[in-house]
Amino acid sequence: MRRRLPGAAEQGNVLLCVICTIGIVSVIGGNVLLNCTTRFNAASSQVRAWKESLYAAESGGDIAYAEVRKTISNPTQAFSGWNYTSGVYSSPQLTFGANNLRTSSKADVFYVDGNGNPWYRVRSQGTAPVRGLKRVTMDDRMSVGVRGDSLLRKIDFNYDHFAATYGPNGDNQNKAVLAVNSPQLTRRIELVASPVTPFEAAVKAKTAFSGPGSAGLIDSYNSKNGAYQFVANNPSHPHYSDSRSGGVMVNSADFNMNQGPIYGSVTTNGGNVKPSNLIKGTIDNNVPFTLPPFSLPSNLPLPQTSPTTVSSTTTITPPTPGTANNPTYYVLSALTGTLTIAKSGTAETYVAIRVRNDITGKITVNNGVHAVVYFEGDISVKARDIDNPSNLAANLQFYGITPTDGSSQAINIAPPGNFAAAFYAPGADFRVNGNPDIIGAIVCKTYYGNGNTSLHYDRALNDIGEAVDYRISSYVEDTR
Amino acid sequence: MKLSTSLGKQAGSTLSEMMIGLSLSAVIAVAAITTSVGLQKSFNAVDNYFATHMQQIRIIDYLSRDVKRGLAVTTSTDLQSVTVSVPNYLIQPGDAEAVADPSRIGTPRTPTVSYTTSGPQVNYSANASTVVYQVNGMSIVRVENGQVTTIAASTDQLVPLTTDVELANTEYTNSSVTFRPIFTSTDQRSGTTICSTAYLRNKRRG
Repeated sequence: MRRRLPGAAEQGNVLLCVICTIGIVSVIGGNVLLNCTTRFNAASSQVRAWKESLYAAESGGDIAYAEVRKTISNPTQAFSGWNYTSGVYSSPQLTFGANNLRTSSKADVFYVDGNGNPWYRVRSQGTAPVRGLKRVTMDDRMSVGVRGDSLLRKIDFNYDHFAATYGPNGDNQNKAVLAVNSPQLTRRIELVASPVTPFEAAVKAKTAFSGPGSAGLIDSYNSKNGAYQFVANNPSHPHYSDSRSGGVMVNSADFNMNQGPIYGSVTTNGGNVKPSNLIKGTIDNNVPFTLPPFSLPSNLPLPQTSPTTVSSTTTITPPTPGTANNPTYYVLSALTGTLTIAKSGTAETYVAIRVRNDITGKITVNNGVHAVVYFEGDISVKARDIDNPSNLAANLQFYGITPTDGSSQAINIAPPGNFAAAFYAPGADFRVNGNPDIIGAIVCKTYYGNGNTSLHYDRALNDIGEAVDYRISSYVEDTR
Repeated sequence: MKLSTSLGKQAGSTLSEMMIGLSLSAVIAVAAITTSVGLQKSFNAVDNYFATHMQQIRIIDYLSRDVKRGLAVTTSTDLQSVTVSVPNYLIQPGDAEAVADPSRIGTPRTPTVSYTTSGPQVNYSANASTVVYQVNGMSIVRVENGQVTTIAASTDQLVPLTTDVELANTEYTNSSVTFRPIFTSTDQRSGTTICSTAYLRNKRRG
């Protein structure tokens, strides 16, 4: 039998010490990892939830904004499925995304402007679940009594702090302690959707712009200050500030300067417009916009029984003056003759005309008449055939009803003559040749102006017309 | 039978073995202590780095939140001070609405619309709130209408930099925050930078 040497037992003790040492070191190392990992997970989860809750709130805002836009593009479907109580539309709660984000919105009209266009206020809230332990992470790390993260990221671990402190609607009413099923983080935003009026720039083209000609120009003035005069190169003139708003907006990269100056800003969507002594305003090549198709308004009154077509010299004298929101309405199958619209008595007179085919005739709008022409075909006239002696573009507005088959309308203006009118035809190719001098604004699919064509944008147009779209004009976050 | 003399040999061996054993133990103890201290330092370094990183994120999140809801932003020439004008959304004590109805303090205002030379404008109050971010010693403070809040404080020398870019139809800020880890011998900030771009939602394109 082999005896075990005493020295062998001592070697075993050393091994035990080594193992213990390794064990202690491992425990310390594990503790480091555990601490860091736990805090990292909790902190990153809370930061993620804080950001995602804003995404959710903004998604809810976008959903409400889409419904507001439908009030113009598809009124019968606007706010479909929403609850309507006391003037406020409330959306159902929507859960979406891989992290089960929740959002809901409310929208109400808080203001109606002078054109009868409603302004909507949208309040949206977004909620994201907070995963991990119910603990604040880096809070109170800065110094004694100084809170850090919890001042910014207000997490509802057990109760909805907002409902308890400010009430469910944030108006200090109906405060209640409401338990939450699991930790969550909610952020709230308020948006204002304001109506976009048709004429907010000298030229607003959907796909292409080419102009002005070498002897032409684009500038602006304000008809509220009197008749147009060129003052864009005279800084000391009292109306100089109104003279450099002849902006051109193109929702594509297709922008061509034809040697004529533009006294205003130029924006394109992906274009390559560079600073030039011909562009007197700012340049931004990254400005997309939407130009929705135009359809006949649904709130027009019943049409007058006559005339139903204008193929010779015809004068319309409305039976009543009407109003901007309730004009005297005519439907014409054609406008190939000479049409004169006269005042009804001595009062300012409002007229709406729908032309179901091409316009090739002459239209005269007497002083004191405010005419809106909706056309379904093309326009091909000389500039002198658009006769608006008031020289106020707002008094003669043309609206092109966008063809539903995707085809383009055509608006061709030829010399001689000058005119004052505003065109809103998002589906039309607008082409003006020669030397017409135009006062007004043009919204179209493509714009082409050569030769001596000049365009003087009337800034007063920015305040008129029915809304053609909505844009978000204010954004506030409720940080409570 | 010859008796074993191993006891005498063992005594001699024990001394040398003990010396060796003590030496080994000392080496192991030094290694253990060194490792422990190293791990503790690593823990502190990681913990401090992470805490400072969280403060970086907090600075950026604060700034982005205010920029997004801001009406205008200006930065100082050294880029370390940012002033944001934000809508005065909530009714404050002393406001006309609060005087008329004290129960409305802290509640949201209904916006109004005014018409300016540049078009219609949405207002929540005649005067906007002013929020200023600035470096104050080792801290980053946020001052809203005179009320000071320390949003970050670190011995790692946090340095925020913000540039404001204003275009024709929009405006945005680029912000970055760096710090100098305290467990490095040189000013190695490059690996600590976090960046953010925030657009002013109130100055939208299109």
